[in-house]
Amino acid sequence: MVSPFYLLGVGLGLGFLLGLTGKNSKKYTSAITFVAFAFFVFFSISWLIPFALKQVTETLIYTAGFLPPFSISLSVGFYEAVFSLMINSLGLLSILFLWKKINSESNALGGIILVLFMTLNMLVFARDIFNIFVWLEIAAISTSGIILLDKNKFSYSAGFKYLLASSIISSLYLIGVVLVYFTNGTLFLNDLITNASGVTMSVTAVFLMLIAIVLELKPFPANGWALDVYEGANPAIGAIMSGGVATASLFLLYKFSPLLDNKFSYLFVIAGLLTFVGSNLFGIKQDKANRLLGYSSIGQIGLLVAIIGFRPFLGDKFEFIAITILVSHFLAKAGLFWLSDVIKQDNIKNWSVLRRKPLLLVLFGIFVFSLIGLPPFPSFFGKWELIMMLSGGYKFAVVTIILVGSFIEAIYLFRWLGYAIKLDFSELPEYKFELNKIIPVVIFGALVLGAGYYAGNLICLKTLNYIPLAFIVLLYFIDSLPAYIKNTLSILALGYYSYLILPNLYETDMLRFIFAVIFLIGGIITLVAGYAYKGKRQGFYPVALLMYVGLALIIQAQTTLEFFFGWELMTAGSYFLIIRGKKSIEHGLSYILFSIGGAYAILAAFGLIYAETSDILLSSLSVATQNITLIFSLLAIGFMTKTASLGLHIWLPGAHAEAESDVSPMVSAILLKAGVFGLFILMIAMGHNPEAEQIGLILGWIGALTALVGNLAAAFQEDAKRLLAYSSISQLGYILFGLAMMTHLGWMSAMVYSINHFLYKSILFLTIGAVVLKVGTHDMYKMGGLIKNMPLAFIAVLIGIIALSGVPPLSGFAGKWLFYNAIIDKHWYFQGAIVFFSGIVAFLYLFKLIYSVFLGQLKDNLRKVKDISVWFAIPIYILIIGIMIISAKPELYLKPLGTMISGFYPNGELSWTGGLANAPYGYWNGSGVMITIGIMFSLLFLWLWSLSRKAQKVKQFNIVYAAEAPQRPETTHISYNIYAGYYKSIGWIVAPIFEKFWSTMTEWIHSVSDFGRRIYNGNGQYYMTHILIYMLAFYFILMH
Amino acid sequence: MTITIDKIALFLGIVLMLIGLYGAFSLKSIIRIILSLSIFDTGINVLIVSLGYLKGRTAPIIDGDKVTVENIFNVAIDPVPQALVLTAIVIGFGVTALMLVYALKLYQSKKTLDINQFSDLKW
Repeated sequence: MVSPFYLLGVGLGLGFLLGLTGKNSKKYTSAITFVAFAFFVFFSISWLIPFALKQVTETLIYTAGFLPPFSISLSVGFYEAVFSLMINSLGLLSILFLWKKINSESNALGGIILVLFMTLNMLVFARDIFNIFVWLEIAAISTSGIILLDKNKFSYSAGFKYLLASSIISSLYLIGVVLVYFTNGTLFLNDLITNASGVTMSVTAVFLMLIAIVLELKPFPANGWALDVYEGANPAIGAIMSGGVATASLFLLYKFSPLLDNKFSYLFVIAGLLTFVGSNLFGIKQDKANRLLGYSSIGQIGLLVAIIGFRPFLGDKFEFIAITILVSHFLAKAGLFWLSDVIKQDNIKNWSVLRRKPLLLVLFGIFVFSLIGLPPFPSFFGKWELIMMLSGGYKFAVVTIILVGSFIEAIYLFRWLGYAIKLDFSELPEYKFELNKIIPVVIFGALVLGAGYYAGNLICLKTLNYIPLAFIVLLYFIDSLPAYIKNTLSILALGYYSYLILPNLYETDMLRFIFAVIFLIGGIITLVAGYAYKGKRQGFYPVALLMYVGLALIIQAQTTLEFFFGWELMTAGSYFLIIRGKKSIEHGLSYILFSIGGAYAILAAFGLIYAETSDILLSSLSVATQNITLIFSLLAIGFMTKTASLGLHIWLPGAHAEAESDVSPMVSAILLKAGVFGLFILMIAMGHNPEAEQIGLILGWIGALTALVGNLAAAFQEDAKRLLAYSSISQLGYILFGLAMMTHLGWMSAMVYSINHFLYKSILFLTIGAVVLKVGTHDMYKMGGLIKNMPLAFIAVLIGIIALSGVPPLSGFAGKWLFYNAIIDKHWYFQGAIVFFSGIVAFLYLFKLIYSVFLGQLKDNLRKVKDISVWFAIPIYILIIGIMIISAKPELYLKPLGTMISGFYPNGELSWTGGLANAPYGYWNGSGVMITIGIMFSLLFLWLWSLSRKAQKVKQFNIVYAAEAPQRPETTHISYNIYAGYYKSIGWIVAPIFEKFWSTMTEWIHSVSDFGRRIYNGNGQYYMTHILIYMLAFYFILMH
Repeated sequence: MTITIDKIALFLGIVLMLIGLYGAFSLKSIIRIILSLSIFDTGINVLIVSLGYLKGRTAPIIDGDKVTVENIFNVAIDPVPQALVLTAIVIGFGVTALMLVYALKLYQSKKTLDINQFSDLKW
């Protein structure tokens, strides 16, 4: 354990020495400072290890043999050591990052950075309040010194504003210190804390000190000066400010927090939450990268200030929450600022240049994810605990504010990520890939992953399964191999995972078994189509597997935490899959925003449950008795964002339609079932609560209307994949409707629809996707007459649409039959009528799918097109075999389903006599229907075939054109705008009201953001005024 | 109420602070703003000294005659505020110097010292 005074010696000594040395020694500055920082890091570790091993307790160190207040006292404890290590490692890597700059600038630069970091250490250790004033001032002086690193008018004015602001702030602090000394006769923080309950404390004095520290942390809206510095200074300085200076100031606040009584805690909470929401809100409209990082940085620090204010509530979880969120922010923000300096692009739209080096894009993604608090990063666990603890303390308003703030932050971070992933960068300038600048970023990226693993272990005692995640990392490292190798590996991995969990699930939990089969076996089948892709297909397999891992974790989850962990992984993976599509940039954004919003609704509901049961077991969902309407509504909304129910559906059509050919079935046939699974969990939990019936009624109506609107919208599409996407919306509407009935037959129909939708939607999306790959367009009017070129595809689509439409003999009929039985049973006649009507509408678009793609006139340019790739045909025909089996022998799956659902709803089940199913309102024999229809079909076919031999064959162009070529060729396609008449009469039902609602909402938020941020008018004097007004406003609040 | 030197100093300190604040918030020339902040600092320093003043006491130097180790708490004034002021003056000097450097750089970049001209960074 090295005495902290050596830090002073090395810092000040070298700092002055470097300032004095001549120009010739300039080239050694970096090396010298680097060694000094290595010593700093060694110092921190030398304290941290004994503390971690619990060999020592907190140590007080005095100067000159006097006791406080006559001496300067430093205190080193475990958290001091942690913070010192964070700060010093940032310093070490900053020197590495700025290596060339330091060597080429004046030799003072290295010295100033060294002095700054020494000061930050001292801010962490110092226990003398006047001493803290001195360090604050030195920190301000040295910070404004290094702001001058970039010599231009922006950094000059930013640095000057910083000095103005910090001189006002430290004056406030100084007055506070003097008043504290005047009233308490001590400058020693520990004494003050012991006296805190005494009457002698002057509220004004303590207020001045605390508000000054809060102001150091750039509270919204008195923070224009800090934003200007983030924008105007070199990004590497931004990293130091955001990672180093803010971290030290935050620790200062933590040190003072025992002084807080309730009133002051309240003040911190208000200041922090206001900053978290306000700063993120004003950041939405920002497109300059460094300034945006500043907004985000300030927002995160605001959240941490609020957390410190909540210290009494958080109990022994306080340190875990604060440190996980701080560490994520610290590593991510420094990394992002460094990335900004590497690529030298200030407009966030130009961050697509990251893709020149895919490693940088991955790092960018890691940092963005850890800022938002997605798994497996530490902030995920921190935010989870925070929400749980606050909910446990019945602070629901605060939970809402935090979730809203996080959501707003997600808006701009994901928009930015989308730009980086998708926009074109070919016009943008090259940048240098310097190793000394990349290494620090890589180290911080690795550290944030490691910290996430560590935090995950701390919180749930190794129940989280990290092996699949490790496999994804492995996939990333072998990303340069050809696609077929990675495809095989992925299939094997999913196969192995299925082998691990499926047999056990089959024995124990039929519901989970069925969904696991859809997720995992379905995953394997759709992955087979991946062999059709040549080349490397970079970035595809890690994210696809991420989605499947998330899905598998949802199935296996025992606790709400594991469920939420899996849910977020699945969301992340599917986001990356969706955004891979060519025109998917906005669809990816709307998908992830709906998903994150939904996930936060789920999180809030879990918090409410925790508040009552103090338990995170998934089974405690059914124990809750208070607020259940709210809990169930929140959960339903959360899950319905994934099932794309009416109102929350606008992300789906674009996302599914623009996705790659084999991704569409993954995100449609498989992913949507995650929402269904969630709804099942929810309904099981709701069980027989009286409130459940009401929620069920509402959900039923939503389901019915979703089915209708989805089908109608599908009928008016000209884009084949969009048509299928809308069709998915309506199918999920049926499932929701069936679930909401909460009867045996209702659930049977929902389950049957889920299984069937998986089968036929996979078939249709795979087939249409494969056709699209061959013909190069989604627009149906550009296709036509493909039946002879693509017989395999034709048969697949034919079978798919027969199954989907629910006519006998294929399996869709089972769903319909159960459905109508269930509706009559439940007496939901109005909703039933809507569902029935929408079933008829389905024929319109299904007919169109076969008619306009495969029948009619063959287009000239498609004359030579070949049948679909064999790698698509294999999974398609496997699935067709599946459909055929369950169509011919429906009892194979209906019986076990019945047994399973009897566990929840024992009344009203089907009774079986052999293959004959008896329901209250009718009976049905799958095999019999199949055989009857088969015979009818064969007879008709033979008769038509015998007729057709007499027919005269007419070639396609055996006609005469009587006029010029039409200007818009699609108008000559027979099925273009085929339902124009219907559209005139009932088109209003599919008017994009929800799209309009959401886009108005978006515009509104953006306008607020754009209007509000104008208070940062760039004038240093105004910024000083903001600070003074802020102080006075809080004083006023405090005194009342 | 008698007017004593510490009260005069207290009053003076507050007046200086207010003058400084007024200047810093209303004047437009960067040099004048820096000077105003300096005056504000000085006001704080005077305030600190006035708060540390105890009537009728002597300097806290143990000379063995008037002030001894035993009676120091009764006859000498509190040395801490004065030590604080000394440190604060030094730091104030450093900040002022740095601000002046900035003023120079700002002037070189735009040939003006009007603070309203330096709001390129905003929103």
